[in-house]
Amino acid sequence: MTSAATRTDGHAPGVLSDIRVLDVSGPIGHYAGRLLADLGADVIKVEPPEGDPSRRWGPFLPGVDAPEDALGFLLLNANKRGVTLDLQDAAGRDAFLRLMATADVLIESWRPSEAAAFGLTPEVLLEARPDLIHASVTGWGLTGPRAEWAFADIVALAMSGVMALAGFPDGPPEQLPDHQGYHAASIDAAAGIMAAVLHRDASGEGQHVEVSMQEALSMAQETAMQSADILGVDRERTGGAARALPGLGVYPTADGYIYAMCTGNAGSGFPGLVGLMRDLGGVEDLDEEPYASFIATSMNANFVLAAMQDPKKAEPLQEILGHMQEVVTRFFAAHRRQLLYEQGQERRVLLGMVSTPADISASPQLNARDWYVEVDDPGRGRRFRYPGPPWQLHGTPATVRRPAPLLGEHNGEVLGGLDGASVAGGTQRGETAQ
Amino acid sequence: MTSNNGRTMDGARPRPLDGVKLLDLTWFGAGPIATRAIANLGADVIRVETEKRPDGLRITGPRPVGSTSLNVSGYYNNFNSEKRSITLDLTTERGHELGLELVRWADLFMTNMTNRAVRQIGMTWDIVQKANPRIVAMYQPMQGLTGPHTEFVGFGAVLSAVCGVNYLSGYAENRPIGVGSNYPDYVVNPIHASIALMAALRHQRRTGEGQLIDMSQLESSVAALGGPIFAWDNGRIEYQRRGNRSAYAAPHGAYRVQDTPERSDRWLVLACLEEAQWSAFASAAGHPEWAGDERFRSLEARQANEDALDALIAEWAAMQDGAAAMERLQAAGVPAGLVQRASEVLADPHMAERGYFAYPEHAEAGRRAYDGPGFRLSKTPHEVRGPAPLLGEHTLEIATEVLHLTPDEIGTLVAEQVLY
Repeated sequence: MTSAATRTDGHAPGVLSDIRVLDVSGPIGHYAGRLLADLGADVIKVEPPEGDPSRRWGPFLPGVDAPEDALGFLLLNANKRGVTLDLQDAAGRDAFLRLMATADVLIESWRPSEAAAFGLTPEVLLEARPDLIHASVTGWGLTGPRAEWAFADIVALAMSGVMALAGFPDGPPEQLPDHQGYHAASIDAAAGIMAAVLHRDASGEGQHVEVSMQEALSMAQETAMQSADILGVDRERTGGAARALPGLGVYPTADGYIYAMCTGNAGSGFPGLVGLMRDLGGVEDLDEEPYASFIATSMNANFVLAAMQDPKKAEPLQEILGHMQEVVTRFFAAHRRQLLYEQGQERRVLLGMVSTPADISASPQLNARDWYVEVDDPGRGRRFRYPGPPWQLHGTPATVRRPAPLLGEHNGEVLGGLDGASVAGGTQRGETAQ
Repeated sequence: MTSNNGRTMDGARPRPLDGVKLLDLTWFGAGPIATRAIANLGADVIRVETEKRPDGLRITGPRPVGSTSLNVSGYYNNFNSEKRSITLDLTTERGHELGLELVRWADLFMTNMTNRAVRQIGMTWDIVQKANPRIVAMYQPMQGLTGPHTEFVGFGAVLSAVCGVNYLSGYAENRPIGVGSNYPDYVVNPIHASIALMAALRHQRRTGEGQLIDMSQLESSVAALGGPIFAWDNGRIEYQRRGNRSAYAAPHGAYRVQDTPERSDRWLVLACLEEAQWSAFASAAGHPEWAGDERFRSLEARQANEDALDALIAEWAAMQDGAAAMERLQAAGVPAGLVQRASEVLADPHMAERGYFAYPEHAEAGRRAYDGPGFRLSKTPHEVRGPAPLLGEHTLEIATEVLHLTPDEIGTLVAEQVLY
């Protein structure tokens, strides 16, 4: 790979190439370890002997045996080495502590009672290793009345206020896709670890990084929190229909859907959309009066919504808008989503195609930027294509250097090298890779 | 205790980015939240703004009823705590020179404007790097600095559609409306950005080298939605739009519970990730027989009979007081919660005990809620120590202390509308 996004040749040392991370977290913390790994850190995934729970979470890769076939695990644990240790067992815990002595950063997701049961509370760890950066990534944080509560992605989406905004009024509030709670917690954890690394560079001092998934998501309430605070009004889920204006919202196309945002001042606005309709076919009578003058002077959400407050203006306005809505709906329905998107954006019309995973995989933009990364996975007999990193750092590119580990794949090379370590708590690759 | 500019606290503990200087040419959501994190970690963040074209969030609100002030929007203020604001018109010749002075002052630079707007204010990478070769400069347009769609524009709602949020949420029978917000703007894109800024800062400190960070909001958003794309690319597994259900857990969903005197439309969410949580749920719900029902005896069986399972739980939930059910299920170790509205989140006793929301005093908006930090540091705190700036609040102080202008020069620049 030669793109600025990612290099797989390993020649450019990453920003964190001197940092070793132990990632003993459950699914809530996997992406944090992955982000640090992409920045060059040596990340060792520590799993229980039976494997991380997400090795049992579908979807699964056809043709590969369990527990090496869970696609979510394979994605979020790429770029890490893997060992198995039984922390319930004295020998396993001993090996873990020896391994931790070689590490700079620990990422875990234990509730306070679990950390205490392992004898690995933040206080104990910082006393043993004053320079350790210890990140706790949990559903509720380590303090407060719910610190011991069970957590799951959807539960945090609900309790953070984010889920209340999603869905139709006559249906349930809806979750966000692909673990946005876990991702938010992990992204915040990685940011906290980066800040702690900078402080450690300067002072030699480690510290505890704490993330609550509920808190990490709160910012994604958008304006709902401030509406409640300033106006005393709770925003509700609207089904995307809060402002039923032509050129605003999700429309069916010939082959899917498109999102339109053509009623504001950004881009070329509604006149730009009419230009697109003229060029692609389907403008009908919107070039004629009374529509042409209205579109040229008044077709703007702020103006229209204000005018609708005046009962005298509202009725004739409804008639004009209703007709425009029909024409716009027919226009979108007659064309394909990618054509509408690309031709619209060429004219600065704010259109966004509703992309499927296949669209995103084939995206001309992502592929022109060599964003996807391919890596061989000899253990699974495959070559995988991974989504790329969230940024292209031109001086210190992110790298994807290895696929996700097989269960216990690096027990020998990681645990065997520890001074006086017992690997009794671990398992060797041959025993578990079926 | 705040000092006269409200930005520091007497006796406050040092923070990890104390002394770091960031020039902030961001607006709306994804940029300002990223630089807010840097400010709340101790950096001196200077936002350049204008009255001619203020940040859209200063206008959007929510603002107190009847107010049209550019200084009281909760939307803007939440994303800009502890920053300084200078009103400086970069499109004038002298304004641009002063902008480059700020580039030379800064360690870090960030903008999320469109490529076109960046060209209009003369702050492209070649110009910025020439002015300050050791600067870390992040450009965060919707689609990155290169490629056939590099000039494509939009807000978070457009991006949500393009990056997959819309298609990947909701139910197959409904239009893919998204998740009711400009979702990628608020955590995924800004906090991804703050990670990269700090990573490049580390490299700068160790080597003296700056760098260009080309951050495409599309790439950042898709990176955090990787599961369904990875499954398609490597297994040709098509994503199913199944609302609140899960590929690996059942029951998993939202179930309507009883209204309370204060609130209607109440929903309990529930996720049984392990078999033990399923049997614990059945017992805590008062239906231990469900766990033994052969339709529900394994995850596979429950998924095969998920409509029947959800119907039973919905019937049970309809008779429940939501808060009591949540407490009972959690006491049994079952991941459960309520769909809280924002007013409930603000009053959430757990978050309150943890001191999540901050209430800094703002000269015009008063004492309003700000989101707290998404992560906490035990020794060098990450915390909101002050409010967002008024538009141009720090123009004079920055002109004097950072740009080293004399009062006469400042007077002339104000008269010429370079500074406001």
